[in-house]
Amino acid sequence: MDPMEVFKIVVTGQEDFGAKKYRELIMDILQDLGLIRSIGRLYVYVDIMEPMFAIYGLLRTGIPPLTVRDVGDVLKTEGGYQVKINDEEHMSDLLKILWGRYGRERVEQPARDIVIIASDTDPSGLTVADLEMEFLQDLTDGLVRVAPEGFRNRRNEMNKDSFFFIAAEETLTPELIAKTKEKIREMQNA
Amino acid sequence: MLEPVMFTGGLYKHDLVVELVEDLGGYVLQKNVTQSEVILLILIPSEDKSVLEALIKELRGELVRAPLAGTEVAVVTPTLAIHHLPHTACDIAEYLRRHGSKTNMMGLARGVGREIAQINEYETALINEHDAAVFIFGNFRECIRKKESLYRNITVPVVVTGGPEMAKSELPYAFEYVPSIGRVAHRARKATEIGTLDHIVESVGRALDKTRADITKDPLTTSPPRVMDAVREQVPDAEYSYSPLPIALNLGGVRVKLPYERYKDAVKAVTFDEGVTLGEIATIRPSHMKDYILVRILPASETGYVF
Repeated sequence: MDPMEVFKIVVTGQEDFGAKKYRELIMDILQDLGLIRSIGRLYVYVDIMEPMFAIYGLLRTGIPPLTVRDVGDVLKTEGGYQVKINDEEHMSDLLKILWGRYGRERVEQPARDIVIIASDTDPSGLTVADLEMEFLQDLTDGLVRVAPEGFRNRRNEMNKDSFFFIAAEETLTPELIAKTKEKIREMQNA
Repeated sequence: MLEPVMFTGGLYKHDLVVELVEDLGGYVLQKNVTQSEVILLILIPSEDKSVLEALIKELRGELVRAPLAGTEVAVVTPTLAIHHLPHTACDIAEYLRRHGSKTNMMGLARGVGREIAQINEYETALINEHDAAVFIFGNFRECIRKKESLYRNITVPVVVTGGPEMAKSELPYAFEYVPSIGRVAHRARKATEIGTLDHIVESVGRALDKTRADITKDPLTTSPPRVMDAVREQVPDAEYSYSPLPIALNLGGVRVKLPYERYKDAVKAVTFDEGVTLGEIATIRPSHMKDYILVRILPASETGYVF
């Protein structure tokens, strides 16, 4: 069963096998990169005679930015705050943010998972990492991997809730992009 | 006739196998030691195979036929990028190795795309040094048809693999076409996928048989394993080469993995019991692979004798 609500793929010409295989391939790659759960709908249009490859996708609701509160427990102590880290994955980001905000001399790390801040300002609300940005970077990487390798002229339009990626061997013209968008719109309405 | 077989067993007492093979007039082509296990690729006279089988049974080893032993096969992908590797290319290369062939993986510099795919002279010459080549293509029929230009000038038999079912007549320059293994992003593990790998091995086997049949029409002056043995004995530095297989066998000769300039004279001077030197019965030239030495044995029609 597809984890996506809609996954349509259209390949022009006598390429039924290619369409079926590309469906499996896209699933495999998106699954490998852990992106599949964040994509709601996916439309793929391939014209092998052109040749070009396009993907349009709708993303599931945005991911909120990661704050200090999300990566550890913040405690008020004498003369400052103590953060007990639970999620070490973003440790370097956290330190960078705290150093920038309070200065290196006020941030101390006596143990691997403890950070002490000599300040009266509560750090709980500081943004540690923009997960949405990271997700969009991973998604771009995934799309480049999905598209056939020879299609080196690429264009990627991304916003908070959708993306449109097109790759071709020849130069991408505004007409080609408009035509492809029209094809995808037809697929959506079909 | 010499039969190619593969022995897998414990390291302990495996030298008995090596000694027996030498006594019977066979050749050990390759020896791979992995911790306490050893894999030997052997050519053995077929009438004496039962003697070897008896010894291997005693040693609790395993002996299987390795139809591709003593050959070198190129596995060619459009490039070495993540789009083509690791899954399909590595699966095919590994599977060919398990059947005894020496497999070299090659990625072309500009083999990608439908209209823009190219191969250069050097790449073609390098592939032509092998006994057969496997070209791995993708899932679209039109692209596979277009990419024929990549292997049109290759003189060794080319097995093409791709996704869709296609008639052989659509690819006139290919030796055979094996479908249902196009671009995939997972390892071959299902029975059908393994079955496809078997088809590739069979197809490569047929391609090599064709070359063998061509060679028998005008037989080589001597057999490549004999040249390998003589070079190994008389150019002992070959054993100190860092390559896992210092002397690689082809159907029409050998590749000695030593620098050409320093060792060409030593290789030319290798003498056989019959009194002829290797320089008289073979062409010795630089290989396109690194600076190795390529030995191509001349046919009987050129030298006038066979031994």
